[in-house]
Amino acid sequence: MKKDTSEQENPLKVNRRHFFSQLSVGIGSLALGSLLIPDLFKSSAQTLATNPLGIPHFAPKAKRIIYLFQAGAPSQLETFDYKPTLIKRMGEDLPDSIRNGQRLTGMTSGQESFPLMPSAAKFRQYGNSGAWISDFFPHIGKIADDICIIRSMHTEAINHDPAITFFQTGSQQSGRPSMGSWMSYGLGSENKNLPSFVVLTSRGKGNSQGLYSKLWSSGFLDSKHQGVLLRAGKNPVLYLNDPEGISRSDKRHLLDQVSSLNKLHHVETGDDEIESRIAQYEMAYRMQMSVPDVMDISKESEATIKLYGEDCQVPGTYAANCLQARRLAENGVRFIQLYHQGWDQHGNLPNEMAGQAKDVDKASAALVLDLKQRGMLEDTLVIWGGEFGRSNYCQGKFDPKNYGRDHHPRAFSIWMAGGGIKPGITYGETDEFGYNIIKNPVHINDFHATLMHSMGLDHEQLTYKYQGRRFRLTDVAGNVVKDLLT
Amino acid sequence: MTATSKKRWVDYLILGLTVFLVFCLLFEKHIHPPTIVLWLGKWHPVVLHFPIVLVIVTVIWHLTGKKVPYLLLAASCVLALTTAITGFLLGLENGTKGELLFWHQWLGVAVAVGLVIWYWLSSSKNNNPIITKGIGLILLVLIGFTGHYGGMITHGEDFLALPNSRRPEKIPANPLIYQHIVGRILDDKCISCHNPNKSKGELLMTNLRHVLKGGESGNTVIPGVPEESELIRRLHLPLEDEEHMPPEGETPLSYSEIEILERWIALGATDSLRLQDLDQNDPLAVLINEMMEPDPIEKWNALTVLADSTLERLSSDYVTITRLANTTNALRVAMYKPPVYDPKTLMDLKPISENIVELDLSGLPIGAEEMALVSGFSNLEWLEIDRTPVTDTDIDTLKTLSKLQLLKIFDTKIGDKSIALLNNWEDLQQLYIWQTNISEEALNLLKEERSDLRISTGIDESLRSEFAALDSIVEPEEK
Repeated sequence: MKKDTSEQENPLKVNRRHFFSQLSVGIGSLALGSLLIPDLFKSSAQTLATNPLGIPHFAPKAKRIIYLFQAGAPSQLETFDYKPTLIKRMGEDLPDSIRNGQRLTGMTSGQESFPLMPSAAKFRQYGNSGAWISDFFPHIGKIADDICIIRSMHTEAINHDPAITFFQTGSQQSGRPSMGSWMSYGLGSENKNLPSFVVLTSRGKGNSQGLYSKLWSSGFLDSKHQGVLLRAGKNPVLYLNDPEGISRSDKRHLLDQVSSLNKLHHVETGDDEIESRIAQYEMAYRMQMSVPDVMDISKESEATIKLYGEDCQVPGTYAANCLQARRLAENGVRFIQLYHQGWDQHGNLPNEMAGQAKDVDKASAALVLDLKQRGMLEDTLVIWGGEFGRSNYCQGKFDPKNYGRDHHPRAFSIWMAGGGIKPGITYGETDEFGYNIIKNPVHINDFHATLMHSMGLDHEQLTYKYQGRRFRLTDVAGNVVKDLLT
Repeated sequence: MTATSKKRWVDYLILGLTVFLVFCLLFEKHIHPPTIVLWLGKWHPVVLHFPIVLVIVTVIWHLTGKKVPYLLLAASCVLALTTAITGFLLGLENGTKGELLFWHQWLGVAVAVGLVIWYWLSSSKNNNPIITKGIGLILLVLIGFTGHYGGMITHGEDFLALPNSRRPEKIPANPLIYQHIVGRILDDKCISCHNPNKSKGELLMTNLRHVLKGGESGNTVIPGVPEESELIRRLHLPLEDEEHMPPEGETPLSYSEIEILERWIALGATDSLRLQDLDQNDPLAVLINEMMEPDPIEKWNALTVLADSTLERLSSDYVTITRLANTTNALRVAMYKPPVYDPKTLMDLKPISENIVELDLSGLPIGAEEMALVSGFSNLEWLEIDRTPVTDTDIDTLKTLSKLQLLKIFDTKIGDKSIALLNNWEDLQQLYIWQTNISEEALNLLKEERSDLRISTGIDESLRSEFAALDSIVEPEEK
């Protein structure tokens, strides 16, 4: 017995309705046989087995998402939000009328003054769209006409953990399913031999914040929707390979036996997690073949290696993960989540950001170009961005060569490409100080709603009932930002 | 056959049909009848007229105090049950039941069940005519409502409404902005109160002359000056404002509808302006085009209905079949490389050929056999056969794919011979063709002939070298 997941919270509990619906099949068989309704038993079993989920609510533009998450929050002022006023007013105190009561983190709330600090990197305009991009990111400049820069993102969180949790799960408190899990739950898997939600991590030299597996947890959703971390090196998935001396046929035999025992147990208890477990074992068995295949970049052409940069041959680098992301996307993984750590520049920003940018600039742009030439930008959505923005005033000693910026939730920049998002536009605007949004704000809930829309899901319809109420990725908020859609 | 045995036979028939009807209703969620049974539902509109007439005759007969002939009652009963069952089957075609269908179904069931009770009472010994007369009267009322709801389902809710509030036809390609667009919005949202029968606020909105004449507040529409037009002012008021139009409880206009009215007034509120008189980038034109755009999945409405179980059966660990959206029978099929490739997995898809709109076979060891199969996918719009060993001769059979819009065929062995084929696909919009044996000249020829076609020949060489040469940090220029 499998349930309509959206309706039932405890799969073990057979409630009255379920009792009757089970009974119906019994009575039905006595009363009618299957002459009149040959499909009756077969398809009722099937309606229960494959719940109505697993297909989009409407025809989608994007079939998969690659999320290049820049963990630690890169400064919008040194990336995509060009503010010449900060140059003119360098060193002046942030006007109270602009700060407008914004709470600060403990790291700068004790500061006596908030001197405005302009970007250490120069800006220039790129492409036909004339998008302003800082000199830290010349390669991204080359793809300016393929991307959509949003300068008006905002969030409520001011510290890393709640902020990144908010981005990943739609809630500042942990415990909700990650958005990759929601997509997997809503759309099912495209390739049954790989997880539908894969995570790749890398770390730059900049000041880092932690990453926890809770960020790719499936929360209260079925555990098969959980993100699977692919590690760098010989064993991308831990314990996936057979131990020495065990052949593949031995493994097959073992799995068959285990599965028959599990099935017995399932008949006894009706616990759906058992079915999930059987399916996971089977997938792991197939993954023994499919994962090494996907991870093997030896057949990638010289030109491709050059495009992503030589680093892409070094497992565990951001560039390698970008190349891997393309390969995973080609192989039908729905949600590919990259994290690159090291963007938390409270001090030494110019140097650290230059290093971080060197890690990600070329590979991020290469990924977009590579997807584009393969026609995959048509149905793959790429997102680049961090969890919040950074303050327009200097943290610590005022030195234009070596300054820091504190967290800033009110405005920050990200970019997206492909998957039904308008290319070559810059959306939203902040005031001349880069502090407040003055045009077209996009909240994280709106961002989630828009992503889901591109994937063919109605963010208000995709729900899961848990602890007595229906949950959504966007909870009770979120509007699709139609202006961003093609 | 004696009269009693005949009667018993009818009794069984009625009992059987009743049980069947009740069964259907109780277990509706689990019933997926084969198409032939569903087809019986199509007879509902034909059958339904008989019981209506028969029941009315039976009830009147009974009310006049005469004994109802057995045959009449039995026939009404059987026909009412048949109608209810066929109606139920017909209703299954709708995924979710709207309010109209809900009421129609249950009222119809009530009629059938009422008749069964009457039939049963009349054949029992202690039959009280008062009760059966009561049932008869109730049945008359029920039939009236059932019929009315049924009528609204087939003919539309406003079928009985006055002629001028009927829904306009489909918007033509180059619509008259007043008649086909503005008029349609007014018809939808305003006319139910502002027509000759109601004329709230002494305002008629049935035609442009009346709209321009205005109502008691005057100035309803001032051509060229939307900001002073009473109509626009009221549309913009907060929903809870007394003067907001349409009033509380009615569907308000959408933002784009309000904007269309505003811009139409700004352009002089005439009835002669057509869509093509506007610049295509004019905001009004954009709004109207948006309004006219059909839902993209509508074009697949005619595809054969496929059960989820069929898709499930044809899928495997390496073949994924998904609907493009949950309300359509258009499919996307993707195949991933299995440890051992067997063409049979693909050949099994033949029965659902015409439903496949997107197909991804990239990276598979496919050849002539598979291409011959694909050539039968007559509704295919999106085909990925990149990184495969296909050759010019293999893909030649694909010329039948007249609806193809996107083709990925990079990293293959195809050469200049295929140019004619590529050129032949009129609907083709995007072509990914790098790393093939196609010569530069042939490609240029294709580019010339098909300026509408977006051809991707891979990443531009100059961009590649620029890209490789760029250091990630541009050194700041010295001032």
